[in-house]
Amino acid sequence: MTDKTRTVRTTVLLAFVSAVFGALAYSRITAYSLAPAMKPADFRGLPPWYVPVAYLADYFSHAWICLTFAFVTAGLIYEFIPKEAITGHMSGRKATGYGLALGIAPFLTVCSCTMVPLFAGIVYSGAGLGPAITFLLMAPSANILAILITGELLSWELAGVRVVVSTVVALIAGIVISKTPWGKAVEREHQVGSSNPKTAVEVVKLPLDERLLASLKFGGYLAKQILPYFILGLIAVSFVEAHLPEHIVGEYLTGVRGVLIASVMGGPLYTPTLVEIVIGRGLWQMGMSRGALLSWLMGQPYDVANAVAVSRIARWKAVLTYMAIAWVGSVAFGLLYGALSGSL
Amino acid sequence: MHVEVFGPDPPCQRCTAVVKSVERAASTLKPEGIDVTVKKLNIMSKDVVSKYGVLMSPALTLNGTVRVMGRVPSSEEIGRLIRETAR
Repeated sequence: MTDKTRTVRTTVLLAFVSAVFGALAYSRITAYSLAPAMKPADFRGLPPWYVPVAYLADYFSHAWICLTFAFVTAGLIYEFIPKEAITGHMSGRKATGYGLALGIAPFLTVCSCTMVPLFAGIVYSGAGLGPAITFLLMAPSANILAILITGELLSWELAGVRVVVSTVVALIAGIVISKTPWGKAVEREHQVGSSNPKTAVEVVKLPLDERLLASLKFGGYLAKQILPYFILGLIAVSFVEAHLPEHIVGEYLTGVRGVLIASVMGGPLYTPTLVEIVIGRGLWQMGMSRGALLSWLMGQPYDVANAVAVSRIARWKAVLTYMAIAWVGSVAFGLLYGALSGSL
Repeated sequence: MHVEVFGPDPPCQRCTAVVKSVERAASTLKPEGIDVTVKKLNIMSKDVVSKYGVLMSPALTLNGTVRVMGRVPSSEEIGRLIRETAR
């Protein structure tokens, strides 16, 4: 490829990225709502086939800007984060391991097929089970996509709280499990001895246009993976909003009982990435308390597929321990946030 | 030329895409006299971690050196890399 075509390609791609960022900034300046505008009451009386249509149209007419922004940003960050530098440091000391797990999980793990392999890598390479568990819990609850969408569709306060609470819970779970007898047994079993593999890594650096294209492609790949579930989730929520009487939500999803129910709903419902946000938003609109909403958002690490994959490495005892800690964390912080924000 | 592709087992979509890219590159390189052997390895195996450290899937090595990590290279790029390494 000639230098000229490269420059043109880079310019076009940068223009696209700027346009996406600009659209978000513009919507901020003009105070245009990126969250859907219809209320549950608007759906009452609509014919059943029209409920999801109206809901999807309302959602996408407002949320497309923030969805596009979120996927483009996730792709860019994933591409431009220095992956080899990070993975190179991962096999080091425990403190570094915890720091890296917390710092990078939000950026690297927007794709579930990277998550479990990295978990295995951290365990085997000597950083230990603690940082690996921290990484595993931090990734789904506080990844860049989830946080951006939580901020845009729910509230930025809640997004901030979600990050802080995820960090605390993930760190506690990691440290506690690494101190348990079964956690130590797993570490001993899997230690492969310190190796110095850095000499064998010479990752290719691509020109800017190819990196931009790769990041947009990755953003597109994420969208293709996530959006079908997102749309299914929206269709489900549209019926819930149209038919579930609000007094039931107000009765069962508020107070201490509300937090407890919200914290366990995520398990059997098994909601894929981002769907927890739209379901949470629907229930919140119908009267769920903020405390229960946080608890619902935090109650996601019961992801069965991941738990099975992880149990092959860390054994069920460790998996059940981190699930229990995550559950207690989601209840405790749900109650605390509910009490502090005056919406329990 | 030994090419290794690392991904989880069962394979994920992106890792399968890398294997396909390598196979396409291999078929274009054959007439040039470069023989390419592709091996798909489990990124979660202890042998892989002890040899290469923590990798991000999908990853690709050429003659034992990690060249690509966490992305899907095109078959043209892989062809270019293999030619450079073979030289």
